[in-house]
Amino acid sequence: MAEKDMEIMDVKDMRLDEEVIGDRPRRYQRKRPRQVVPDYVDWKDVDFLLGFIPERGKILPRRISQISARDQRRVSKAIKRARSMAMLPFVAD
Amino acid sequence: MANRTYEVMYIIDPETPGDKIEKLNDAVGKLIEKEGGTIVRMDDIGMKNLAYPIQKKETGHYVLFEIEGSGQEIAELERRMRVNDMIMRYITVRVDEDRKTATKLRDKREARAAKRASFRPSTENQQTSEAVDA
Repeated sequence: MAEKDMEIMDVKDMRLDEEVIGDRPRRYQRKRPRQVVPDYVDWKDVDFLLGFIPERGKILPRRISQISARDQRRVSKAIKRARSMAMLPFVAD
Repeated sequence: MANRTYEVMYIIDPETPGDKIEKLNDAVGKLIEKEGGTIVRMDDIGMKNLAYPIQKKETGHYVLFEIEGSGQEIAELERRMRVNDMIMRYITVRVDEDRKTATKLRDKREARAAKRASFRPSTENQQTSEAVDA
């Protein structure tokens, strides 16, 4: 047992195996193709923003959308602006 | 005073007649110019379905203005829009700063791409390596 632990430690130290962290396999795939966020996120571009809105109307969380923190901030702000102008729903059912 | 760019959008009650909408848009334009702003773009988007009802109405007439100015005209414009019964909703967004950061980001990315391209082996070298493989 001790030997096995040491082995795992070694692998982690050398970063040979980045796929497994902890005991469980990861629930989400990390390297999922991202949606490309333009440099300027236009709050009037409803078609683009709809890509971040699942059917319930909520904003797609960053752990799913996998976009950068800065992009997520810009996208969510744009969505909120569009919502206030009734271009996007607050809740959809 | 540095110039600022704003986007002003408002939704007009769908039951207003067309000539009144035109008059309102003209009045908005005149007000902006009187207060010292310039209109960069004026877009009468027209009737659109609302994502949720506003004042029990399902549609609205959207109008978009892009204004350049000091910000004083915005204060006056918002005051007028608030009391206007025809305008159901309005929003003002300052866009110049975000656009500036966007161009900066783009320039940075292009510079990085150019740098990376300079390190890439030229097509001549690639051909020779293929020849070696063959």
